[in-house]
Amino acid sequence: MSNFAADVYQNHYLSVDGSQVNAIVTVASAGGVEAAQQPEAAEIVIVDTSGSMYLPQTKIKGAREATSVAIDCIRDGVEFAVIAGTDHGSLVYPHEVRLVSASETTRSEAKRAVRRLKAEGGTALGSWLKLAGRLFDTAPDRVCHAILLTDGENEHETPAQLDAVLAACEGHFQCDCRGVGTDWKVSELRRIASVLLGTVDIIADPADMAADFRSMIQTAMGKATRSVSMRVWTPQGARLAFVRQVAPTIEELTDRAVEVNALTADYPTGAWGQESRDYHLCINVQPRNIGDEMLAGRVSLVEGDELLGQALIKAVWTDDQQLSTKMNREVAHYTGQEELADCIQDGLEARQAGDHPTATFKLGRAVQLASESGNEDKMKLLQGLVEVDDAATGTVRLRREVADVDEMALDTRSTKTVRVRPGT
Amino acid sequence: MIFLCPKGHASTTPDYCDQCGDPIAASPAQPTQVLPVVEEADTSQAARLNPCPRCRSPRSGDDRFCEACGYDFLSPTPAAVAWEAVVRVDTGQFARLSDRFASAPASFPTDHVEQRFALDGLRVRIGRSQGSRPETAPEIALHDPGVSREHAILERQRDGTYAVLDLESTNGTTVNDGPVPVRTDKAPVDPLPLDDGDQIRLGAWTTITIRIR
Repeated sequence: MSNFAADVYQNHYLSVDGSQVNAIVTVASAGGVEAAQQPEAAEIVIVDTSGSMYLPQTKIKGAREATSVAIDCIRDGVEFAVIAGTDHGSLVYPHEVRLVSASETTRSEAKRAVRRLKAEGGTALGSWLKLAGRLFDTAPDRVCHAILLTDGENEHETPAQLDAVLAACEGHFQCDCRGVGTDWKVSELRRIASVLLGTVDIIADPADMAADFRSMIQTAMGKATRSVSMRVWTPQGARLAFVRQVAPTIEELTDRAVEVNALTADYPTGAWGQESRDYHLCINVQPRNIGDEMLAGRVSLVEGDELLGQALIKAVWTDDQQLSTKMNREVAHYTGQEELADCIQDGLEARQAGDHPTATFKLGRAVQLASESGNEDKMKLLQGLVEVDDAATGTVRLRREVADVDEMALDTRSTKTVRVRPGT
Repeated sequence: MIFLCPKGHASTTPDYCDQCGDPIAASPAQPTQVLPVVEEADTSQAARLNPCPRCRSPRSGDDRFCEACGYDFLSPTPAAVAWEAVVRVDTGQFARLSDRFASAPASFPTDHVEQRFALDGLRVRIGRSQGSRPETAPEIALHDPGVSREHAILERQRDGTYAVLDLESTNGTTVNDGPVPVRTDKAPVDPLPLDDGDQIRLGAWTTITIRIR
């Protein structure tokens, strides 16, 4: 089994009548288990082959190449398939509805089929995912992962149709989503990635596709666990205000609770390789007397019924204000990163609605937060939209001319966070 | 393995109670106490005298929340709730029981008006009205030939609710059509706790509804 470590960062001191407990739980999985111990995997690459992939031609070329690179990275014995997506999903390889075990032979057959891919037709993301779901269903008990590449909006089905497919696929496989070009919709891919516990990103240049596909497949092949749940217990009378992943990206988990018993709920985290993720939990407890100690939350990582790691969130009531008013560094950092993501989203929305004062204010605050937390990637992206006069005070001016790709990159990556800088 | 927390919960986790989150003092020299102790504590007189007003599960120690239903014992105190007994005549009951009273010349009262009795005091007696001796009349005096002179008694519980006991009446008492414990001289019995809306039936036609005012 995989080796997990969970740590808690919090100020466990609460003032008289204090009731809110905030904690950052960092979970690190050592991964790196022997290949023989790795859970068996299944992998599907879904490539958009709608007509627009010819505009420009580099897109379909890049997609073919990236898919071939991805196929090369699938290790022997992994069940795989390639799906081409238009207004319906169709199999590129194999030629019947099943998965094929990866080997030298099957990989080259698949690559031959991918080279012949043509782009024509529409875009119906849900139908592609539905086909992937059908294929994964033939491989129960495997760690199922898909890559979805698209360049367009979900034009040929209704949001309700997509929602229905997502609900059916949830928990069956994970899916990383990539948008190429600037004609796809960030909110659509984010929703798919969110429900299917994957990542979402923009590939601005089709030439970068291959490298990105390679890294996604390598990450997927490195998974050392099956589906892992974060199990959160809170005491009687307490209420879990929220639980969200805050690193490497912000993912709201609060409303994805699966009740275990009256005091305990599970939150899905998917499969883990060698990686680390941070979570922010906020628990409202019933105040107790000065000097009392209480366990406000027990956070366990479980695979099935096996306990992989555990962390304890505590509360101690004190009348020493020096203790209770101190904000924990990690909690403060991630509270800032969450506000940063919100400010970017709100700012972009306001900008699109033509509300420039709000956009300037929100993006200015975002610049300030990015600068404070050393989030250089965000800072660079923000500079594509605003001219920064003074980062420390968040004084910015909106740029007149903004490239679509800059705006979409900022939108897509708004939920990416940075970790606490050591020694600050 | 079960661990006993300071508040008396049976916890499956050894470090902190899996109910209330209290730290469990783990001294390795002392073997951890196991469940039977908890059961003993739960059936103690104190626990039974102070049940959860919502679900009637015993309260363990001075826990703030009911283990069974999560009721907050510190929520507006149950003692502040005022109870009343509403007396009605019930034709259905009269019809069902008329066989039993066939020999007695009982005629269903046609002039009955609903009577309300505010419940206060530790004990409220229920019995047949005896016009000639008002000084010993029960607090709830009923004009019903099937009711005994000293028929039943309502006793106030520590949590402010009432409970009922039958006082060896001739024709018995039911609550929601279930039996009511009978007080005899031989052994003490616990009265039956009453909830808002419970219906006590007695005599030939009397239904007493216990409710919060």
